[in-house]
Amino acid sequence: MVNSEQEGVKSPRWKYIIGGALFVIAVILLVISATRATAEFFMTIEELQGSQANLAGENLRVSGAVLGDSIAYDTETGLLHFTIAHIPAEEDEIEALGGLGAVLHQAANDSDEPLLDVVYQGAQPDMLRHEAQAIVTGSLNADGVFMAEELLLKCPTKYEEALPEQAE
Amino acid sequence: MIATFGYLTLVLAFLLALYGLIVVIFGLYQRSTAFIQSARSALMLIFPMVSISLIAMLILLLDDRFDVAYVYSVSSRSMPVYLKMTALWGGQSGSLLFWSWLLSGFSITFASRNWKKERDLLPWVLLVLTLVSAFFLFLNVFTEMPFERFWEFEDGSRVLSVLQPRGSISLMPIDGQGLNPLLRHPGMIWHPPALYLGFIGLVIPFAMAIAALAAGRKDQQWITISRSWILIAWVFLSLGLVLGMQWAYDVLGWGGYWGWDPVEIAALLPWLSATAFLHTALLQRRRDIFKRWNFFLVILTFSLVIFGTFLTRSGVISSVHAFGSSSVGPLLFGFTTIILIGGLGFLGYRWKNLQGTHFPEFTFSRELLTVFTNLILLSTLAVCVLGVIYPILSEWITGAPMTVGPEWYERITGPLFLLLLLLTGICPLAGWGLTYFSRLKRRLLIVIPLSLLVPLAVRLLTGVRGVVLFLSLWMASLGVLILLAQVGHDVKLVVTRFEDKILVALWRFFRRNRLRYGALLVHLGIVVMSLGIIGLEGLQQETQVTLKPRESALLNDYHFRFDGVENFEDDDGISVIQANLTVIRDGKLVTTLSPQRQIFAQMGLAVTQPSVDSNLARDLYAILVESQFSTQETVTFRFYVTPLVNWLWIGTAMLTLGTLIALLPHKRLKS
Repeated sequence: MVNSEQEGVKSPRWKYIIGGALFVIAVILLVISATRATAEFFMTIEELQGSQANLAGENLRVSGAVLGDSIAYDTETGLLHFTIAHIPAEEDEIEALGGLGAVLHQAANDSDEPLLDVVYQGAQPDMLRHEAQAIVTGSLNADGVFMAEELLLKCPTKYEEALPEQAE
Repeated sequence: MIATFGYLTLVLAFLLALYGLIVVIFGLYQRSTAFIQSARSALMLIFPMVSISLIAMLILLLDDRFDVAYVYSVSSRSMPVYLKMTALWGGQSGSLLFWSWLLSGFSITFASRNWKKERDLLPWVLLVLTLVSAFFLFLNVFTEMPFERFWEFEDGSRVLSVLQPRGSISLMPIDGQGLNPLLRHPGMIWHPPALYLGFIGLVIPFAMAIAALAAGRKDQQWITISRSWILIAWVFLSLGLVLGMQWAYDVLGWGGYWGWDPVEIAALLPWLSATAFLHTALLQRRRDIFKRWNFFLVILTFSLVIFGTFLTRSGVISSVHAFGSSSVGPLLFGFTTIILIGGLGFLGYRWKNLQGTHFPEFTFSRELLTVFTNLILLSTLAVCVLGVIYPILSEWITGAPMTVGPEWYERITGPLFLLLLLLTGICPLAGWGLTYFSRLKRRLLIVIPLSLLVPLAVRLLTGVRGVVLFLSLWMASLGVLILLAQVGHDVKLVVTRFEDKILVALWRFFRRNRLRYGALLVHLGIVVMSLGIIGLEGLQQETQVTLKPRESALLNDYHFRFDGVENFEDDDGISVIQANLTVIRDGKLVTTLSPQRQIFAQMGLAVTQPSVDSNLARDLYAILVESQFSTQETVTFRFYVTPLVNWLWIGTAMLTLGTLIALLPHKRLKS
């Protein structure tokens, strides 16, 4: 917003610059404090379980393939339990394995992929089913169970099918 | 036949855009009017071509032509007609076709205006519009082809192609996959087109800015001409955002309206910078300052539009809105870079030409408030961009990717929005140049105590506490009161001056000052909208319970009584579980609610259909979470009582009306 050439430090321009700088510093401080408090590590299940550091209590975000049989909803407590299997995080790696649909299918069905138990408090989302990709946000408890605060689901296979099954 | 025809007209449209682009460059080089005129004609011909293509796609959708891959992927026989039509923008390639059509519509309208006084600008406007058209039509023709069809060879292998490969026969699936169940909602009719109109409308001010820079204009004619276009784009963008909130609130079943999803943010970004521009543009027209800043804002805004299409369409982000992975990512990212770097290049080239006349005094005035508003809007924008790219940035810096969620955004933008709300309300207090507080003293002495009553009353009546809630309610009521007091003040002025024919005088006064009253109404609309947001963010109460028939749950004085379950099959072959509820307060019947779970067996998907009872004071909102009725005779519900939500939609209507008033033709601005 620097505008015309003005003379001297007393010009309004300096007042604007100082005022603006103070405001921007305030916003930056706000960003830093929010990041400290809420930013999450994005990890795969493999990394999570291989990690030496004590991650209990840290903000984490983990993605994995949902195992359909593991989905259990407890109506008494309102808790949703399910298990997710490791999938790679790198896009290149997923593409090399035949795309997200194939990776999810493989991970959810026959594998020795590392698993993670998840507990989520809340309604059972419509898209939570076998082979869906679950992205959970929350933290690990002392028993290594993931306490999810947020649950995001993605089902790629259905809409990426290139060619139809049924034909005349 | 129809599909091939639709594709051919698209190819023609692309060739026209390419021709226009080449010819206009040549015309600029040769200083030839004939070439410029030819480019203009080419640009205007794109619209009929893309229209034919669009109609072809609509016919294919309505005709259940599932041999067309796009129709197969987004439509099905059982879908109602309105959904089949909206399926036009339900998938990647169709929505890009729709995008190009709107772009050609804006182009033809703008190119056909009278350019007599701006002959120097026309070629550059044509250059920008043909370039942008050529880019999107290139995507339609070469990478995201909406008219591709299924073909089968004798050996059973299948391919996708626009034209029939030799030795293959057409493959016609019996039924399509159908539109994603989450998109089967009346919201699908208005939300995407409104947003698209808003996004694409912003190409016009961008073209004008580039033209003004390239032609070396120092005046503000480009702003005068862009003004109504940017207002139209802005109001559609606002509507699109709010319609999305309403849809999320009605359908997604979590009682929320905004989730800080990166794609939502992608739509918010150009809105923020366009809003900033609307304010500083006024400053330039009044005071001849902020010339460079205004160019920068318009270039930034259009770059953010293209950046938004990149975020939505490249598959880099997973969300309800995203179209899934696709190959257009690098192209869209490249084009974003071209728009931004190119635009800034022009600005840099003319930098020295664009000195302002003076800097406004640092005192409580419209000028200062406008600068402050810009600072807040742009800070919010920067924070949002940071949030979206944070995973990439953090991996780059520390090696470990980190992400930020809704809480992060709320913590940072909360205080910023609160300041913005305050500014929205108090702006009429400040005059241009210098404000004489002595004149405002009496009004403030009444308004400030009065506005404090609202948050105090809410605190006493509901017992809900919280500094942020208190402050935001105070800011909102302060804003409403100041804005209304301003109108009251004007009315009094007119009434005392014209003792007879008061109504006529008032009408004349409002008409003469329609810009001012349009803006006042927009501001009032935004403050009123904030009431709805305060209701959702600060006052919403919720509970989750499992009930047997005749049992009820109590939430905020409302008894939700569970009456029973109905199972039935919908026309579309969707099986529905519906729970019936009666809501009672103080022994009196309030309403009945019937939340549903709809099961799309074909897709193995269930969709939650909330049930809402709404009035000006509050919304009662019920979700059927899970039915164990067949085994245990119980159903699990989630109930929400949310005060004031309706004011979010009412405020939006005021904002729209205010913009329309400001858009009415006017003769003079400086009066």
